[in-house]
Amino acid sequence: MSKSFLPIVLLLAAAPVCAGSFASSASSAGSATSGSTSGDDKVVLQARADAAAFVASDGGIRGARLEAALRLLRERRADARAASDMQLAQAILAR
Amino acid sequence: MSPRRLWWRLLSAVALTSITLPAAASRLQVEPRGLDAAQLQASHELVEEVEARLPPAWRAAIPADLQLRWRDDLPAQVHGRSVGLQVSLRRELLDGWMARSPREGAAGAATRAAQAALIHELAHVLDRGPAGGLSRDPRLLDLAGWQLRPLHFGLRSQRNPFTDRSPDRYELQDPGEFVAVNLEWFLLDPGYACRRPALARYFAARFDWQPPSAECARGLVFLQAGKDAATTGFEQIDPARVYAVDYLLAEGNGAPMSRWGHAMLRLVVCAPGRVPGPDCRLDLQHHRVLSFRAFVDDVQISSWRGLTGRYPSRLFLLPLDQVIDEYTQVELRGLRSIPLALQPGDIAGLLERAARLHWSYDGRYYFIDNNCAVETWRLLRDGVPRLAALPLRSITPTGLLRKLERNGVADSAVLDDRDAALRSGYYFESAQARYQQMFALARQQLALPQVRLEEWLALPAKRRSPWLGRGDLRVTAALLLLEEAAQRRAELRARDVAKRRLLAPGEGSTMHDQLRLLLADAGLLLRPGALQGGGYGLPQGERGALEAQAMRLSAAVGGEWARLRQLAQAALPQAQQRELQAIADNLSALGERLRRLNHEQGGLELR
Repeated sequence: MSKSFLPIVLLLAAAPVCAGSFASSASSAGSATSGSTSGDDKVVLQARADAAAFVASDGGIRGARLEAALRLLRERRADARAASDMQLAQAILAR
Repeated sequence: MSPRRLWWRLLSAVALTSITLPAAASRLQVEPRGLDAAQLQASHELVEEVEARLPPAWRAAIPADLQLRWRDDLPAQVHGRSVGLQVSLRRELLDGWMARSPREGAAGAATRAAQAALIHELAHVLDRGPAGGLSRDPRLLDLAGWQLRPLHFGLRSQRNPFTDRSPDRYELQDPGEFVAVNLEWFLLDPGYACRRPALARYFAARFDWQPPSAECARGLVFLQAGKDAATTGFEQIDPARVYAVDYLLAEGNGAPMSRWGHAMLRLVVCAPGRVPGPDCRLDLQHHRVLSFRAFVDDVQISSWRGLTGRYPSRLFLLPLDQVIDEYTQVELRGLRSIPLALQPGDIAGLLERAARLHWSYDGRYYFIDNNCAVETWRLLRDGVPRLAALPLRSITPTGLLRKLERNGVADSAVLDDRDAALRSGYYFESAQARYQQMFALARQQLALPQVRLEEWLALPAKRRSPWLGRGDLRVTAALLLLEEAAQRRAELRARDVAKRRLLAPGEGSTMHDQLRLLLADAGLLLRPGALQGGGYGLPQGERGALEAQAMRLSAAVGGEWARLRQLAQAALPQAQQRELQAIADNLSALGERLRRLNHEQGGLELR
């Protein structure tokens, strides 16, 4: 019997490997959301959950999406450069 | 003239002759029997023209007594054959060659057919000879697609799954034919180096010689499978704009199906205008993910079909944002993004390989020995040849990461400081941990009667709503995240109900049929190599036609899908529809409250 047989049997008993990596076209085709948001808006929109966690945790939780939005806002707006991280996170949340 | 200068002039004259008259004596002899003078003459011309196209090293390797014969007795479909020191070609090719129109030049069909057939047979002779062995070279086999199998050490698969956008499907027959067919294209098509760049480089290095080549289209294109119309379409990736490549590991969660994790590669693409460097790490919206997935043309996922390899495995390009949402918020799994120690040249090779897989690969997904970890391992070693020498073989995503670390290719030290990792995007945590924190805060501040997060989320939305207007900004932010969690759960439940209805015989059967049709269309969209647009290998001039077709298909599928979703939603039980609406109302109340609180405290307003 080939040597590779044993690991196969063991694995079969354990679990399928990286399922959950299925691309059903059902989830890929998706809904036709409006494509009108500009790239900048999207960055701010994507940061909303991070901003909520940042505000709720009083600055304790800082996700990368919030960091990306903070950087972008400060690159684009003078009033954002003067504002604190917390003020900007609240502004993102209040949008 | 001094004797010394004379000597130099003699030398350069000799050198010049050897450059201008390389094919002075043809190595390939034409068997004259059965040929009239014109046919013999034409045969010599063909041999001369083909030999002039051969790299010097190949020409030198032609056995001195090799003979060319024209034959009428080859089986149908067979253009040529080479046995021992005899190359036989179909006589019709000679007739075509003699009737060729000089106006068409080398591009004429008959001219090309005769030349290709002769090159093909000479390639077999070369491959079998002492200077050959190309079709046994592991690197050639990697590039061609006779892939290594992880559980069968050193053994390769019998089937070549690079079936899409092939210039000539005969190349898939076996490695010998692959070499012969590809050498035809290498020598006769100036676009070969653009369409199959890695193979062109392999042959060029092998012969230490470059054929004339065309200018290639810019960058590499992928058909991005986004979740909506805005993110579906052609995506051009310029390897020079990719600052880094990370190994992206979706951690397992409690669900048994996910326990092994999922292996992907993250492309750290820099925003337009940004000089490639560490700053690109926060250009999240431009980052892309290469992910091998099994495409399911059925609404059910069958483990049996997964085990027996009946799901096609394809390489998808996805926006990072979509991948983060899918794993951290929908599946509640963490994502580790571990930088790989790759040089710009490595990254270019890796992306080129990814593009070849994307356009041509139609693999079979086996849970065990052809899963995402195996595919990702192969993509890394085939795209970056120096990695092939390292013991990275692994059949699980976490196992592959461990081996990458052990061999100095990946460094998980970026995760040591968790806060810094979250901030810089080396780790994206599962939303589940955040929900717990949010609930603890809300419970403490509002004295909620529920003790556990689960109890709060299980409440009917209408019973949560009285609490939503009572907190300050902090608490309201926490409640917003929790309400979004409740919404996601309700949507998953609704999808489940809809799915069961679609699958049920009887009432849902027309919908089921429609869904299957839709999936077939969407499947085409997820198999870029099946789009009709001409050309082979990496798309060049035909990019426009391919994209137009993809967009047409995407619009049709998107519209049909939206319609079907409405149908399914309308078919949901009343109670479930009311609950979804109540959650949506809660969310807009929370949004309104956040705006008001921010306004009252004189906060910055982005609108």
